[in-house]
Amino acid sequence: MERSTVSRRLVLISLLAMAMIVVPAVTSLPSGISGVKDTGCNCHGTEASPSVTASISGLPETYNASETYAVTVSFTGGPSTDGNANLGGFNLWASDGTLATLDSSAQLWSPNEASHTTEGNDQRSWNLEWIAPDSGVDVEFILHTNSVNGNEGDSGSSGDEWDRAQTTVLGFGPNVLPDADPFKVLATLIIISTVLLSIIVLYVFYRNNPDGFEWARFAPWITEWLTSTDHKKIGTLYFVQGLFFLGVGGIMALMIRVQLSSPGNDFITQEYYNQFFTLHGTTMIFLAAMPLIAGFANWIVPLQIGAPDLAFPRLNALSFWLQPVAALLIFTGVFSGAGADTGWTGYAPYVVSENTHAGVSMWAAGQIMLVASSTLTGINFLTTIAVMRSPGMGWFQMPLFTWSILVANLMLFLSIPAFGVGLIQVYLDRTIGTGFYDVAAGGDPLLWSHLFWYFGHPEVYVVIVPAFGVISEVIATSARRSIFGYKSMVYAMAGIGLVSFIVYGHHMFTSGMSPTLRFVTMLTTMLVAVPTGIKIFNWLKTMHGGSLVYRTHTLWTLGFLVTFTLGGISGMFFPSMAMDVHLHETYFVVAHFHYVLVGGTVFGFFAAIYYWYPKMTGRMLDERLGVLHFLTAFISYNALFWPMHRLGVVGMIRRTHTYYITTDDIQALPEWAADWNMLISMSAFLFFASNLLLVVNMIKSLVRGEKAPADPWGGWSFEWMTSSPPPTPSFDPHNLPMLKDANEHVANEPGRLGQMFRRLMVSDDAPEEGSH
Amino acid sequence: MAGVTPLYDAIWNDYILWSLFVGAIAFGWLYHHSYFYRSEDGESPNIDNLEVGVFPKDYDNLRLEVAWTILPFILIVWLTYISWAPLDAVWSETGPDGYHGSECQEGESSESYIDADGYVRSSCYHDLGITGQQWFWEFDCYELSEDICSTGYATVEGELKPQLTLKTGETYLATMTSIDVTHAVKNPGFGIMEDVQPGQITYLWMPAVEDTSFLMLCAEYCGDNHAYMTAQIIVE
Repeated sequence: MERSTVSRRLVLISLLAMAMIVVPAVTSLPSGISGVKDTGCNCHGTEASPSVTASISGLPETYNASETYAVTVSFTGGPSTDGNANLGGFNLWASDGTLATLDSSAQLWSPNEASHTTEGNDQRSWNLEWIAPDSGVDVEFILHTNSVNGNEGDSGSSGDEWDRAQTTVLGFGPNVLPDADPFKVLATLIIISTVLLSIIVLYVFYRNNPDGFEWARFAPWITEWLTSTDHKKIGTLYFVQGLFFLGVGGIMALMIRVQLSSPGNDFITQEYYNQFFTLHGTTMIFLAAMPLIAGFANWIVPLQIGAPDLAFPRLNALSFWLQPVAALLIFTGVFSGAGADTGWTGYAPYVVSENTHAGVSMWAAGQIMLVASSTLTGINFLTTIAVMRSPGMGWFQMPLFTWSILVANLMLFLSIPAFGVGLIQVYLDRTIGTGFYDVAAGGDPLLWSHLFWYFGHPEVYVVIVPAFGVISEVIATSARRSIFGYKSMVYAMAGIGLVSFIVYGHHMFTSGMSPTLRFVTMLTTMLVAVPTGIKIFNWLKTMHGGSLVYRTHTLWTLGFLVTFTLGGISGMFFPSMAMDVHLHETYFVVAHFHYVLVGGTVFGFFAAIYYWYPKMTGRMLDERLGVLHFLTAFISYNALFWPMHRLGVVGMIRRTHTYYITTDDIQALPEWAADWNMLISMSAFLFFASNLLLVVNMIKSLVRGEKAPADPWGGWSFEWMTSSPPPTPSFDPHNLPMLKDANEHVANEPGRLGQMFRRLMVSDDAPEEGSH
Repeated sequence: MAGVTPLYDAIWNDYILWSLFVGAIAFGWLYHHSYFYRSEDGESPNIDNLEVGVFPKDYDNLRLEVAWTILPFILIVWLTYISWAPLDAVWSETGPDGYHGSECQEGESSESYIDADGYVRSSCYHDLGITGQQWFWEFDCYELSEDICSTGYATVEGELKPQLTLKTGETYLATMTSIDVTHAVKNPGFGIMEDVQPGQITYLWMPAVEDTSFLMLCAEYCGDNHAYMTAQIIVE
């Protein structure tokens, strides 16, 4: 009983509410109407009629502040003819300023809205005034006119027709910014003035007694690291940064894996998921892999070529200190909950669209700083290797790790400007509204793909080639042999460097590329296999007839050969395009590049850690922990990435927050895909945990490790000549080491190509023609 | 991994065969050497007399090095060669030289079939439109009759998604574009994908040879709801 009363009341109330909405439109008829600016005069017919033309005259194109304009609104056409009981009506709405009536034919509903009155519904044009605002904003006018046939009563609105006109009057100035929050202004002023004041006060005190303060006395330990230009200290800083971000990137990967461990999981929202995979990529490539490489390059290259330091030690310090600042910028968005969510490739036009998080701007800014850092590093290493080799060391007597750093830096130096340009364009698009990638403004989204991949493909070789260098060093030393085919190793690296610039099209196979270019890129991409194959076969041949000493770095090197070969083979599937159109953007790709980047670069640099740690710290690493690290990491690594190949083949795509399993309604991934994903996620945790063994090992050995001799493994290059750890400067600049050569040919004698050039050129000894 | 498309499977099998061949050589070699040439006492002999500060004596063999430059090169030329013809099939041109002829007249059927080499051939094709937008797909059958192409809605994990119903034995050429950012049409059932770009038109062949149904996905990251930008495709 009670319930039915309630529902009856509800019905009554809703009927009333409906009536309130409808009534004004019905009753206000001959007397004018308000509130039609969006709906139109819909009680005179649902649609505007083409036979009626409404117009507004008297408005300027650009108005002056507070000026009064005479406005005439009128219409022509429709059923309105002389002799009708009524002729028509209007409704005018202005977004700003004030409307005023001149006579009784019009009335105001508000300062923004006017219509005809009962008296004025027998007209086809009405005169009004509009007083312009003083804010300078653009003002929009919306006019509705109704042409009526004059019939009265309930069907009074039938047969009438109406029209809508819209016009905009431009403001005289830019849009006025909203008022700032006074408290924010005050707080900003206080902070800025306090900082300035403190700097001035400190400066005055410092000038008064310059000897009163010295960094080295104030905080000697930190000063040593903050101000050092020694290549070894900077190398350590790079190394620590690289390892730290390897951990950060790893944790992000774990978040991704927890989310994907079962389909339809909601462990993290897609908003966070997108940020995690973006920053996982950016962190791993730019803040983990590159600094790890730069760390070893800093440490080892000057030692290997017998140089006291790098060519530009201060530039080197600048290169490093740009990195943590850039990292802070890249992560700024994350701290505010709106990190970059574009993928590490940051495809345009999404990267400049309004849907992206605010953190993308900071992400771009941070990467611009990394571009600067890498360019400076490039200059530094190219110069150092070119001019600071010790006496007796020709180009073809450099250790292969130095060669790999030379090739990698040359590639980086030539490719990274394109990335820098692209990032600056993105940054400008996002901040000051340029239109490089805005399609509506004539921008080109594919331009970004070109700039990015022109850099991006050499970049992945930049991070793998130094690992080749490490492997060449370790395998030769461990097998107690010279490396097989030293020169072909160098040519192969140079070949990879060259080819890397002409293959990037394979990242854009599905972007509507021309068939000819598709074929060319397919061929060049396949070509990469040739120099890479030479390297693998040379390494294998180096072991031939040797006596392989099994140490932890040897294990990692053999592990590298297994995983990198597998990654190389799976890479051959992509250039074959009829296959690639299925595999593109799937987990097959994810599996492939983790096999070459983790199984290649990271395994290579794990080998480097076990190989050079005694040199860097003067302490031996614990071999038993090292072997345990290798075994656990190698097994969990393969369990983590190998199943991804299979998931990719059945069509699981990357960068998605969830995946779909076949149900009664939909055909998608097979049911076992969920089980494999669970296995992958568990292996990911094991792999992460196993790498903590390395950290434990390094810390433990640093404190309690055995003292390392100068040449613990029996290598030949100069770094094993110095004490462990090496002195500063690493070599006495006045007494540089001299490289001897076990081969009979004279050092620095030109090769065949050099001899040919020498024959072509006028000899220095030949008598000059003009002299006799 | 039974059957993405006959074309895909043929190349896949070839590549797997060659991968096994290369893998067998590399891994056989690696495992053999790492066992046979291991050091007995964990230390020397120092085979090549490596000495600190002395560039080690050369160890090379030009014939071997040239051999493993030339042989892989021949292999990749072969792999490129077998990947070449399928390339033309996937991005076939229209007209008599292509695999799918010209556009069908009204009432005409494609009569698509798979030839002995695994290529889909048709006498003519039908045009349809796909538009990507954050974060849904829109299909347009243009003026095709209901039985050849029809659009509707399907429920995918509780959400309403667009549905495209195609007819078995017909071949379609999708004309695609995007309204906002880059997306990519990924049709696992046809084994194909192609990007859709704002301000640009791309094309994609969709040969519906066999009865199937699958979930079409967006394969180019496009923002928040990227993972949920799906559509149902039914071939019947």
